[in-house]
Amino acid sequence: MPEEEGGEALIHVAIKAEELFQLGPLMVTNSMVGALLTTLLLLAAALWITRRGTVVPTRMQSAIELPIELMAGIISTSSSRWRGYAALILGFFLVILIANWVGLLPGVGTIGIHQVVDGHEVLTPIVRPASADLNFTLGLSIVSFVMFIYWGIRANGGRGYLRELLGEPLYMAPLMFPINLISEFSRLISLSMRLFGNIFAGEVLLATMLALAPLFIPAIFLGLEFLFGFVQALVFALLAMTYISTAIAEHHAGGHDEETDHGATNGHATPTPAAEAATHA
Amino acid sequence: MDPDNEKRSSGGPAPKPPNWGLAMDLGLRLGISVALGLGLGLIVDNWLRTSPLFTLVGMVLGIAAAMYTIWDVARDNMRK
Repeated sequence: MPEEEGGEALIHVAIKAEELFQLGPLMVTNSMVGALLTTLLLLAAALWITRRGTVVPTRMQSAIELPIELMAGIISTSSSRWRGYAALILGFFLVILIANWVGLLPGVGTIGIHQVVDGHEVLTPIVRPASADLNFTLGLSIVSFVMFIYWGIRANGGRGYLRELLGEPLYMAPLMFPINLISEFSRLISLSMRLFGNIFAGEVLLATMLALAPLFIPAIFLGLEFLFGFVQALVFALLAMTYISTAIAEHHAGGHDEETDHGATNGHATPTPAAEAATHA
Repeated sequence: MDPDNEKRSSGGPAPKPPNWGLAMDLGLRLGISVALGLGLGLIVDNWLRTSPLFTLVGMVLGIAAAMYTIWDVARDNMRK
């Protein structure tokens, strides 16, 4: 979002999502348009693959299936109860991946409305990548935070989870409870800040490069941002998965894993989709 | 056949990929834990007008939470 003022190039990327218009009580921001675009792209891909998907995949189908297969392979090795949270982790990965990559589309950040703010003409982009807005990343983090608490309570029971927060032995609870509480909340903040920080920094970097050297050089950084967008989506999904599988594993460390035990008695480990596919091949 | 696939088709557990995310997470969580403890301490001090008592307590708790996070993550990974 570089601006020209008096012949001098100024770089301006607002940390806060810019307001576009008011829709009743709701103020629509450009990151909301980015989130809507992300949803529409995912919806279009889902509709396309359910209607035109074939057993022998076409190039387009392979491109859509590739990230899903990659993540499914990773999730299936996380714990024996992976089927319960696979959809959530896959959902996180796909939404964040597309939200990050929306920022690389031509016109995003450069096409907008010219507004006068404090006597200066400012370009307000119509679309901003949703993940460059802290509200979006915090929303996703809150969902994952609630889900790993839910899985912790489901695995340990309400009392077990509370006991874990209070720590052992119980007389250490006045010290351990605030420590555990800070540790739990640091997950929520680190998840949201990392994604927002990386994608927002990418936006600033692209705008800076575009202002400094408009030809060829930004293409290198676009390639890098493409890679970072993928890595950040993967990191968010992997961390959410690790937190959930850790919440489950804490229970199994003291007790028994029914599925694994069952598999072990039969002489078979719990099959993973990759293993099933390999067996069928 | 790919050695990984061969290993999986023989019924053994699928190999776990390295979790880079966890390594990236630890550093950030250390800083956030200290900042969170300090921030909460400052808020309580402003509210009760007891500065700098809870700021110091919050900072100590934040540092302790950061240390505990490292220990917790290390313990979980050693268990696996």
